[in-house]
Amino acid sequence: MRDFFKSTRFKILLAFIAFLVGTMVYSVTKGGYSISGESIINTVSKPFRSISNGISMKVEGSLDKLERAEEIYDENQSLKEEIRQLQEQLTEYNSLKVECEELRMLIGIKQAHPDMTTSRFCKVMGYITNDPFKSFTINVGSADGIEPYCPVATAEGLVGITVEVSEHVTTVRTILSPDLSVAVKSKSCDDDIGIIEGSVKSASDDMTNLMHLRTDNTLKKNDLLVTDGSSGLFPKDYSVGKVKKVEMDSNGISARADVTPCVDITNLESVFVITDFIGKRGNSNDN
Amino acid sequence: MIIKPSREKRILYIKTALRWLFYYVLIYAEFIFMTSGTLLKPIILIPTALYIAVRNDISASAVTGAICGFLIDVSCGKLFGYNAVLLTVSCIIVSLIFEFYLRDKFVSFIFISAVVSYIQCWLDYKFYYEIWNYENHEMIFTDYTLKIWAYTVISSVFVCLLLRLINHFLMPKTHFTIEETIKAEQH
Repeated sequence: MRDFFKSTRFKILLAFIAFLVGTMVYSVTKGGYSISGESIINTVSKPFRSISNGISMKVEGSLDKLERAEEIYDENQSLKEEIRQLQEQLTEYNSLKVECEELRMLIGIKQAHPDMTTSRFCKVMGYITNDPFKSFTINVGSADGIEPYCPVATAEGLVGITVEVSEHVTTVRTILSPDLSVAVKSKSCDDDIGIIEGSVKSASDDMTNLMHLRTDNTLKKNDLLVTDGSSGLFPKDYSVGKVKKVEMDSNGISARADVTPCVDITNLESVFVITDFIGKRGNSNDN
Repeated sequence: MIIKPSREKRILYIKTALRWLFYYVLIYAEFIFMTSGTLLKPIILIPTALYIAVRNDISASAVTGAICGFLIDVSCGKLFGYNAVLLTVSCIIVSLIFEFYLRDKFVSFIFISAVVSYIQCWLDYKFYYEIWNYENHEMIFTDYTLKIWAYTVISSVFVCLLLRLINHFLMPKTHFTIEETIKAEQH
């Protein structure tokens, strides 16, 4: 033992302990910052520590899952049930939202055209197969008070007219068809009147034509066309379409225009039928 | 053959009922397909009615032709009964042709289907567009009629395969080949 205390090994150990104590004291004086040795160790060991920590977290997680399997299963089931209920509520909310929007639109239309009586919003059941003029069927019929030749519209504008009415289904002919003529006038100038009538060519581009215009008309691009209401088939001042291009007709005595309908007729989801309005043909109580 | 006649008859009834059930489920599914969406679609009920006429008796073919025709009228918004008349007559003729002159071959059916659907499409164009003298009505023939006809002929291939599958399992065999008779005798 005496030899050990006198040995060089003991002195080296003592010096080492003194170094460690010195390091410790130095660390205290650094006020929270690590000393370079510690930094080196941290830097070198960082990737290994990350990997090892990751592994142990995974193992612990797996063990935890095994241990709490039943609890997690129950929790999962209750969450699934909760999601199902929430989805049900969301579906109901969405349908109420759509209904609310439709009713709001109807109120707007009623305010703008107080003379009109409309049906409820009806769903578009489907387009007539392979029809170039995009005729479609709606889910209302004679049982809902619909008659043939009633105007069909959306809040944006006129869509067409009912042509075949059965008890619960009605076929609608659109303004893209050459079989439907609508008297219209410019919203900005009452003298610019003409007839909206579809054609094979314009229907292929989802457009329609304005014909029999005066050659000295004042129509220009983006002018809004509204129904004239003189035929008794359509209510007065209802939007139909916007002028795209005005040109002379091939007959040389009148002008014509390409018209973009206010409504995207190829993607309709719901419409309403205007069942009565002031000036309707065959109405005895017109004002 | 050691098959009791009563059992044979019962199997025949069940198979026939099932076969017609499948035919009409297919017809209904095709009607739904035709009434959905806005794209151009084949008049898929034409090849279906025709192929049913190929392998069944005249009266059943005529009734099926009429039903398919009515469905086409509803989905295409045509005069109710127009396609029914057309398809009933076509189905009767096709049934007679295949009974007396042609065998149930794939190519013969596609040819017959192409001819009948062309007649249907052409008459549709004539009666619904050309005689009304719409401006640029020729565009309808090139852009709609011919495309629909081509789609219908293409769809005939699938219809034929599907109905052949149904017939393979559910069409009772009225005649046995020599090989089949020998096989049955051995059992």
